[in-house]
Amino acid sequence: MIEVINISKTLPNGKKLLDNISFKVKKGEFVGILGASGAGKTLTLRSLNGLLKPDSGSVIFKNELGEKVNICTLSNKKLRKVRQKIGVIFQGYHLVQRLSVLENVMIGRLGSITTFRSIFYGFTDAEAHEAMGALEKVNMEHLANNKVSSLSGGEKQRVGIARAIFQKPNLLLADEPISNLDPKNAKLIMKLIKPLSEEIPVIGVFHQPEMTAKYCTRVIAIKEGKIIYDGKPNLSEDQLSEIYGEELSTLALQAK
Amino acid sequence: MSDFKIDLPSAKFKNKATLTSIVILLVTFICSYIKFNPLVIFTEFHFLQEFFVEMFPPNYGLFYENEGVGQSILQTLSMAFLGTIFGGFIGFILSFFAANNIFQIPFLRNFSKSFLAMIRVIPSLVVILIFVIAVGPGSFAGVLTLIITTIGVFGKLFTEVLENAEEAPSESIYCAGASHLQVIRYSIIPQVLPAFISNLLYVFDLNMRAAIGLGIFGGGGIGYKLYMAMRVLHYQDATALITMIVFMLLIVENTSNFLRGKLLGEKL
Repeated sequence: MIEVINISKTLPNGKKLLDNISFKVKKGEFVGILGASGAGKTLTLRSLNGLLKPDSGSVIFKNELGEKVNICTLSNKKLRKVRQKIGVIFQGYHLVQRLSVLENVMIGRLGSITTFRSIFYGFTDAEAHEAMGALEKVNMEHLANNKVSSLSGGEKQRVGIARAIFQKPNLLLADEPISNLDPKNAKLIMKLIKPLSEEIPVIGVFHQPEMTAKYCTRVIAIKEGKIIYDGKPNLSEDQLSEIYGEELSTLALQAK
Repeated sequence: MSDFKIDLPSAKFKNKATLTSIVILLVTFICSYIKFNPLVIFTEFHFLQEFFVEMFPPNYGLFYENEGVGQSILQTLSMAFLGTIFGGFIGFILSFFAANNIFQIPFLRNFSKSFLAMIRVIPSLVVILIFVIAVGPGSFAGVLTLIITTIGVFGKLFTEVLENAEEAPSESIYCAGASHLQVIRYSIIPQVLPAFISNLLYVFDLNMRAAIGLGIFGGGGIGYKLYMAMRVLHYQDATALITMIVFMLLIVENTSNFLRGKLLGEKL
């Protein structure tokens, strides 16, 4: 469970990037955050795992001991503890190109092993077998020993998902996970993320209303740093044009 | 006619002509200042000719007669190797303290950067003179000198490599709760490893040349042998040694280029 309470972020010039954003996401929910470019979607997502510190407000997350902590005010050390339990999938995959697929999956658990072991020994055989399990879930086990640099975009994103699964998170964040992919791969990735939301809350930023309508259980729309819609994933034409303004025509073209 | 101003060809020509005249005047002045007269090469050509005649044919028998030659080649190779390994290791460590994206204490980072810059500007021939006096002539002084120069060159090259490492993979590892050291180990080092080995091979190549030059100044090895042959006027021995040195450098350079090409090709 994660609860965002009144977070705001203002630039020094007075421009409001985030304006009193509040929402609560529970297990079983797959929330899609929609909005035009620059509306504040990604900033909202980044404040959920402490990559961005809002000027005011709080992000409450249950840590591994079941205690409620405010991510916005944690010390670095405590933030690292919390991040072990938050999986993130990125638009640009953010994998280490020179390492193998299997190593990239195992990296997901670096936070929970000691720095000493990770530097002088590395991962254990048991961890490698477990990581293979995560790769099997995304049908990538046959490429385990390949270098990531040799994979296609869709395959890289599947490695990203396997890494998040292997991390055993209590919350999964996805920052435009399908924006760099063709429609076929985009669908595949959404189908892989969907079942994860039965175990843990999943929050993703998307640019594809037709995808969120199909796969998400709830949609939050952000415009100029404010939440303007929070509810059922199926949005009407009018609602979409309110969210996207002029961008709608381009989006409609893309959908065709 | 529009008001738009263009660079007129006549003005451009004037600029070029002025610049060329200044350069010619400067070169003439400096030549006369240090009494460098290029024409001497042609007027005194017979001296060079006589010298070349004395240098041929090369005395390759030297390699059989004098066991010291083979050993001195091995000594020079060993000096370059040790200088590269030790200097590379220290430069590798220091470059992490000098890279903007890795070391977060600006004061100490600037100190490391300045330190690397400082040891880079001291010419190796000055360093060897100091070491020859401090520890005596021989390969020990040579290796110490190579270590110092390698730290400077390699530290600078590798700091730049580190600063060009991609940010994104590191961010994703931080997001999994990893520490700074873990990010260095699992994101930065895998990214820079090919460049590390490639730079190390390049520096070894440079160190081979330097090791021969240092020999003349008391660093031992084949450079010293060449210097001695010249001093006692055994020019035919010297020619044999020079061809040997060129041959050896060609092998080292080509091997290094081949391996680096393979490494960087693999990087995609």
